[in-house]
Parts: sequence; C-alpha cells; structure tokens
Amino acid sequence: MDSIMYLLEGFTVALTPMNLLWVTIGGVLGTIIGMLPGLGPATGVAVLLPLTFSMGPEAALITMGGVYYGAMYGGSRASILINTPGDGAAVAATFDGYPMTLQGRAEAALAISAIASFIGGVLATFVMVAVAMPVARFALKFGPAEYFLLFAFALSATASMSKGNKTKGFISMILGLMISTIGIDGQSGIKRFTFGILELQGGIDFLVIIIAVYAMGEVFKSFKNIADGKKTVQKNFGKIWISREEWKRSVWPILRSAPLGFFIGALPGAGGTMAALMSYNNEKSLSKHPEEFGEGAIEGVAAPESANNAASVGAMIPMLTLGIPGSGTTAVMMGALLMLGLQPGPLLFQQQSTVIWGLIASMFIGNIILAFVNIPMAGLLVRVLSVPPKILYPIVLGLAFVGTYAISYSTMDFYLLIIFGIIGYFMSKARIPATPLILAIIVGNNMEQSFRRAIKISDGSLRIFWSSPLAVALIVITLLSILYPVFKDYFHRRKTRIDTEAA
Amino acid sequence: MNISLLSGILSLLIGLIYTVFALLLPDASIGRAAEPKFFPLALGIIMLLLSVALLYEELKKKKEETKVKSVFTLDSNLKKIGLTCLFSILYAILFDKLGYVISTVLFLEGELFLFNGFRKWKINTIVALVFSLFIYILFSKLLGVYLPMTPGIWI
Repeated sequence: MDSIMYLLEGFTVALTPMNLLWVTIGGVLGTIIGMLPGLGPATGVAVLLPLTFSMGPEAALITMGGVYYGAMYGGSRASILINTPGDGAAVAATFDGYPMTLQGRAEAALAISAIASFIGGVLATFVMVAVAMPVARFALKFGPAEYFLLFAFALSATASMSKGNKTKGFISMILGLMISTIGIDGQSGIKRFTFGILELQGGIDFLVIIIAVYAMGEVFKSFKNIADGKKTVQKNFGKIWISREEWKRSVWPILRSAPLGFFIGALPGAGGTMAALMSYNNEKSLSKHPEEFGEGAIEGVAAPESANNAASVGAMIPMLTLGIPGSGTTAVMMGALLMLGLQPGPLLFQQQSTVIWGLIASMFIGNIILAFVNIPMAGLLVRVLSVPPKILYPIVLGLAFVGTYAISYSTMDFYLLIIFGIIGYFMSKARIPATPLILAIIVGNNMEQSFRRAIKISDGSLRIFWSSPLAVALIVITLLSILYPVFKDYFHRRKTRIDTEAA
Repeated sequence: MNISLLSGILSLLIGLIYTVFALLLPDASIGRAAEPKFFPLALGIIMLLLSVALLYEELKKKKEETKVKSVFTLDSNLKKIGLTCLFSILYAILFDKLGYVISTVLFLEGELFLFNGFRKWKINTIVALVFSLFIYILFSKLLGVYLPMTPGIWI
C-alpha cells in the first residue's frame, strides 16, 4: 500500500510545469536521436547529459527518463521507414515494419509501433510500482559479501550474454574493471596506475568514457555507412492510425509481450534487443498465419515494440533498487545519478523516495506525451530522417565535446574522449562488445569496496563468500551464467556434427 | 593479420603490463598491507587467462580453416578518422584560447567538410554557426553551465 502513497507523492513531483516541460523536451530530443542510424538510447542519454547538470536530481532523472524512452520510440521510426534501425532493440521492427512501408502501409506501422510502445511502457510501469519496494526491501538484507557476488553475477551475465565470442565479452569486462582501479585508492591513499600523471589521480571519469564509446565511437563507425548512399524517406502520409481489424490482430501480442519484455529487461545483460527478438519469435510461433511474418504482418511490429519498451522499464529495476545497471543505457543513467551525488540502491528508496517515485510517476506521463508526439505528429517528426546524417553526425560530435567539457570544465578530458573513442572503434571492429566494459567501469569501484569490506568483516577469511545461503545461490547462478555459453556451444557443435553425419 | 588474433595479443600485453604494475604497488601503511593490491592482481591474472584462451581459440580456428577470412584491413575511412582525431586535438588546444563559439565553429567546419564535402560550404557554415551560438546561449546563459568566452567579445 505504501507504494501507492509514494506514487501519488511522485505525481506531485512529476506534474509540476517545469518537470512536464522537461519530460517533453527529453522525450522529443530522445526520439530524434533514436531515429538516427546507429544511435540508440545509451548515446541519447550520454550526449544530452549536460542538459541536466544544472537541474535538481528529480528534474535530471525525469529528463533522462524522457530521453531514454523517447529514443526507444524513435528507434522504430527509422526501422519502419528506411529499414535502418536506430539501435539493436529496434532491429525487430524492420522485419515487418519495412515491408509494410513498401506496401504503402507506413501509416499503420507507425501508429501500431507507437501504440504498442505506449501500452508496453505503461503496463511495465505498473509492474514496476508493484515490485520496486519489495525488491529494495529484500536488497537491504545483503551484506558486503552478497553485494560483491551480485556485482560479479551481473557482470558475468552481461559478458556471457553479449553477442559473438564470449571470451571477448569477458575481456571487455575485465578491461572495464581495470580502468576503474585507476586513481587514488580511497581506503589506503595509494596511487594506483596513475603513471605519475596528475590528471589520473582522481580516476578516469566514467561519463567521459561513456560519451567516448557511445558518441565518438559511433561517429567513427558512421564514416563507413555514410558512403553507402542515401535512402529516400516517405514524407507524405495519410492519417496515421490503424483499422479495427489491425487492432484485433495486435492487441493480444502487445499484452503478451509486455510482461515478457519487463522480465527480460530486468535480467542483467539481457536488454531490449533480446526482449524484442524473443517476443517476435514467440508471436510467430503462436500465430495462426506465421507465413505472413516478414511480409508485413502488423503483429510483427506490435509485439517487439511492446516488449522493448517494457524492457526499458524493467531495466530500471536492478539499477534503482540494487545499484546494478543491467544495460548500457541504465549504466549511463546510473553514472549521472552518481554524479548528482545519489548512490542508487536500496537505501535510495528510503532516503530519496521523492526522486525515485517522481521518476516512476513521470514514466506514466512521459509515455502519454510520447504517444501523442509519435502518432499525430509523426509525419512532422520523421522529417528529421530526411536531414542528411552528414550534417547530424558532426552535431553529435559537437554535443559530445560540450558534454565532456561540462563534466569537469577541463579540456584535458578531450584527449581521453579521443583515446577512448578510438578504443571503442577498435573494439567494435574486433567485435568486442562495449556494454560489459561500460558496466564494469561504473560498478568496478563499488565492487572492489564491497569485496574489501567483506574481507574486513571476516578478518581476512574468504569463507564469508559462501557462508550464507544467499551467497551460495549467487555463486551458483554466476557459474551457470559463465558456463551457459560453453554448454550451448558444445550442444550446438554436437548437433551439427550429428546432422552432418546423418547427411 | 586477423583482428581477433590481434586483440588477443593486445589483451595479453595489457594483462602482463597491468599485472606487473599491480605487483609493484606499494603496501598500505594502515590496515592489511596487501589490500590495495589484491583486487588489481586478481584482475591482471584473469585477463592473462582470458587472453590466452582467446589466442588458443583463434589459433585453433586458423588451423581448421586455412584461409583467413577477416583480415584486418585499413579501410578507406581511416583517413577521415585520423583527420577527426587531428581536428579534435586542435579543438582541445584552441578551446580555452579562442573561446567556445569560435573554436566550435572551426571544429564543426572541419568535421562538416569531412562528412558533407567542401562544395556545400554555405550549408556547412550556417550549421556550424547556428549550432555553436545555440549551444553557447543554451548552456552559458540559460542552463548556467560555464563555457569559455571569446576574448574581447561578449560571447
């Protein structure tokens, strides 16, 4: 019951005129960035971060939330109209959304993706209201040892669920943890890995690395895509809405995909991309006419859009209640919270309840505003897609630099931005996933501190890490998450071997 | 050279250097002496193990399929990336000296030239000017985020 009380209190925060304005601005800017090929919610929040530096924590979080789900809404616009997903979570919208555009049904595709996103987002926010407090209360039982193991689980799950080679995922994660150890050690005062450089003593600011990897790295990558030639965008639309028949086909897929998306989003490592693809495959196998999938089936747009927006809400749960971001975007948001002096975790719900519940309340409001922005105004907004990326990418660079400057007021960080931009580019060339690196940089310090606190409690014995049932359970699921790809690989290979032998 | 092999070698090097520096870290004068060392040392060792695993995977793969598919080629965009880095370094140097607006106009002109070509210099100039002034007024005047002023002019 307290949740309802807190939520009402949250609405009093979210409904102030300034906060309504911020969530609208954040949502519109997020939608625009989400539409750009290659740029998703993580980049959107990263480059728009400096906007929030002068705000209070409530307004800052509400604005970032707006950018986050705005980018989720926007991602599908480009998928549907030009077959170029803004980010991974919008990939599934290309399967049926683009065929619909080719058939002259772009209006229905745009409308259903916004409707599905809206329903998915709102339903997931209801679930969040219900589970946030219990999870935060449960997390209060965690000691330093359990926290250390939880960090280890979240990181290893992210690394092993990343696409491609799993070893590379773990290398990315360790590299991130290594970067987090740079600087003066808070407990002993010893300088670690500063190599005598004064600027490194305070550590490398993770926000700079985030902007570097998500903005600079993406711009470096874009040089290749830009040469690929341009696509024409449909600019004139009929009424952007759907028929009753289309609604009937979509309503159950939308309702089924929302809880699925929320659950997958809340798991560390699995994010909007996986949620969208799973719900797509799910609906395809449940459908009475699976042959239409990929040829412009409307539920093929509705289901993944509902799932990925629900996932973006679900991803906030571990970040806010445990202080463990489960995705790139929530990692960026957590970085921003830390910069505002707020430590996400169970105590945040007790100490800063208005901030948290203001954010949750604004998710309801933001989704309503975005549905309005994305349906009646869709025709206007998609004109951004006809502004050539050749002009937009330099602007993203400009935003990356102004954002970096606003973090520390020092041009020294510009060099870090360049260096990590190149590292990010190299990593993507080598198919090393960036998300484990970003997560590790953000939680690395807390992870080491909880390890050392645990050792202090146990007076030097490592036994504390398996002395409680909770700790043992965490070890087991961590091992499972590490071994899962190995098993999968083994069975996959055995299956192909049997198949080839049979052939 | 295969880029996965290259990243394996690089992470091996990073692991080695990091482990050596972790071993060289001084002892803490308060509390447990080895405490600041322990976590980094563990990271270094895991990195070494992972990079050996990656190298092993890649070398095995190489034997299985004799022809290497993903050869690391310097793609043609590397020149543009290099120029972007150069412009960024110049931007960093000039940022405080020339002030935000002028240094940003120069930087964006450079980048727009790379992306959009020289022939569209009119559009490029308009975009660079509008962006710089807009951001300056938004941040410096409305949001209260300090940006360096151009000496002698009001902005």
